[in-house]
Amino acid sequence: MSSMTDVRAPAPGRLAPSRRRAPIATLTWMLARPSADSVSTLMLPGIAFAITTALLLTVAGGGVMFWNWPDELNAATYQVLSGLALALLVIPLASLSGAAARLSARRRDDRLATLRLLGATPGNVVAITVLESVMVAAAGALVGVVLYLAAAPLVGLIPFGGAAIGAASIILNPLAILGVIAGIVLLAAVSAVVGLRKVVISPLGVRLKQSAPRMSWLRGLIGGVVVVIAVVVLQSFGVLPDYTAVAVAIAATFAVGVAVLNLVGPWLIWVFARMQVGRARTAARLIAARTTLEAPKVAWRQVSGLAMTSFVAVVGGTGVSFLIEEGGPANELALYVDVRTGIIITLVASFLMVACSVGVNQASAVLDRRDLYVGLDRVGMPREVQEQARARAILVPLCWVSLGSAALGGLLVFPLAGYALIVAPTSLLVIALAFVAGIALVALSLVATRPVVTSVLRSPERAQ
Amino acid sequence: MRRPTDVVARYVDEAGSMNSSASTPLLSASRVSMTYPGTRALDGVDLAIYPGESVAIMGPSGSGKTTLLHALAGIITPTSGEVVVHTPHGAIAVNALAESERSRLRREEFGFVFQQGLLIPELTVVENVALPLLLAGRTRATAEAHAVEWLGRLGLGGLERRRIGELSGGQAQRVAIARAQVTGARVIFADEPTGALDSVTSTETMTALLEAATEDGRALVVVTHDDQVAARCSRVVRLRDGRLDVQAATTVSGASA
Ligand SMILES: Nc1ncnc2c1ncn2[C@@H]1O[C@H](COP(=O)(O)OP(=O)(O)O)[C@@H](O)[C@H]1O
Ligand SMILES: [Mg+2]
Repeated sequence: MSSMTDVRAPAPGRLAPSRRRAPIATLTWMLARPSADSVSTLMLPGIAFAITTALLLTVAGGGVMFWNWPDELNAATYQVLSGLALALLVIPLASLSGAAARLSARRRDDRLATLRLLGATPGNVVAITVLESVMVAAAGALVGVVLYLAAAPLVGLIPFGGAAIGAASIILNPLAILGVIAGIVLLAAVSAVVGLRKVVISPLGVRLKQSAPRMSWLRGLIGGVVVVIAVVVLQSFGVLPDYTAVAVAIAATFAVGVAVLNLVGPWLIWVFARMQVGRARTAARLIAARTTLEAPKVAWRQVSGLAMTSFVAVVGGTGVSFLIEEGGPANELALYVDVRTGIIITLVASFLMVACSVGVNQASAVLDRRDLYVGLDRVGMPREVQEQARARAILVPLCWVSLGSAALGGLLVFPLAGYALIVAPTSLLVIALAFVAGIALVALSLVATRPVVTSVLRSPERAQ
Repeated sequence: MRRPTDVVARYVDEAGSMNSSASTPLLSASRVSMTYPGTRALDGVDLAIYPGESVAIMGPSGSGKTTLLHALAGIITPTSGEVVVHTPHGAIAVNALAESERSRLRREEFGFVFQQGLLIPELTVVENVALPLLLAGRTRATAEAHAVEWLGRLGLGGLERRRIGELSGGQAQRVAIARAQVTGARVIFADEPTGALDSVTSTETMTALLEAATEDGRALVVVTHDDQVAARCSRVVRLRDGRLDVQAATTVSGASA
């Protein structure tokens, strides 16, 4: 906008009205070409799509590997377990790809408004938006494929079935890779259109809700009742007649667990955040707690992928550690060791995805609220306080959710967990380390978004 | 914070002031210039702000008003020239300060009101106003009690627990004024504080700003397009293409000596 006030050149003569339609490709290039802030506007969504693609391909590659698992190595069991791991990874992966798409769709709101002022038709605006999103997503996805291929040798070092799986085993065939790229690009296009509708409705990037969301205590009550029922059911596992019944019980517990968590999670976050608001002694703590309280569902969605994984990691990890310690036939022992590997990988992968979506979400949140960041900087709010508030708003719910779910898991298998801690301390230590590493990973992704704040503060939108 | 004592503290206020020119200004700028690539936003501006006065900065769009305000407040570092803040502890050359020190100077010595309040939407009214005190290390209870007092003074009693989204534009602007005042800042900077308000609300907001900001030897510097707003200030300076328009200042300002 400000560029319009800077025009110093003499007024040009009248142009004859053009009958040609606006050249979409030219306009798109004019909007998208590299400029001073292209890092925040084009690179970030590109990177987000690249990471999403790489993780998606790796996870899919792992899934396919277990599909082709040799029968003599207990294929059915591996397939069921890897299916479970994939199910656990779907939530964080979906929220990561959603975050990437949102970031890509959101960041050009003001330029679109300018375009409309300049007389572009709504059709032009839609075409430009979709075209640009698609190009960024396609470029990101291609980089993602390269990342995936480059990381494959490293992922290939992971041992399953008694030996390293090897890079080749997780490489998908080219057609599947193309399919994934097409899916990512389609997702970007759809999000761009959806995001555009929102821009039309509300041109203001920052949401200013009239009233703070409230959460009913009924969520807590229902959650509590279901947990009690689950405990009772789990206690009766021992008397279940056969394997199929156990499998059904596990699947049912899993489904109910996900449903209950999504009901109770946001409520718990809301309750904790309210307590934090009351107790906050410093500016950073107050802002962080209020940010969480403002949108408990958003805070939950961002870290919810960890809830189920953490829970399963503790319950499953305890069980497996115990079984490994018990000893047994070599082939069974190998299976248990693999299950433990799988649990740790699933846990770390979940954290990795949450870390990526936290990074992407934070980058777009900072860009969305650049006016506020600049304003607070101008009135003298220390940069460190802004960073602390941002970090706490993410890390506090993250710790509540992951460690809370882990604790709940530990509680459910309490006698076993206590025993496993004594007989198999190293196994549990490895799982605990995976938690620490995961939380550190998320903290690291927050640090990675600091340059976005720096660039926003360094080149603020020009004042009127 | 560095507090250099060797900085010359006397500058002559060209446009004149109601206050005695012999008294020490709160803030003085000498030969301040600011060049952006392709634009000379400020060109050798001299200006001093004295205790108890309210200075309106006027001028056409793009004449450098905001740039001058930002240079005076230590938000930007001018390309050349000097800005000196006179605190009870001595004079501070703003340009010589590191970024974090300037941030601290703005937090401790100045208050700001922008066209949009730039209040934190998640916080309540009282929390927004208490924020500068929390940053200054006060306890939450002290900070909020003090904030409540200021809100009462500005006619916002009863709105303490509201959210920013529930306020009208004029109310939000008064919250911003309370936030700017709460630490006892000695200079309040306002950049078109009434720019987004209707004329009645604008008058109320200006009254609040003028009353609170200039008592106890404090001062107000306000950028405005509004002649009525300017008429209520004790002094008007005009900018044109980044230069002080001295002639206009002396003829237009009704309050100058
Ligand atoms: N960050 C910046 N980069 C480049 N030019 C700028 C910047 N900020 C202001 N300017 C230019 O400096 C001049 C004065 O701007 P400003 O102080 O904002 O004017 P005013 O507030 O009087 O409207 C204008 O020509 C403007 O375009
Ligand atoms: Mg301005």
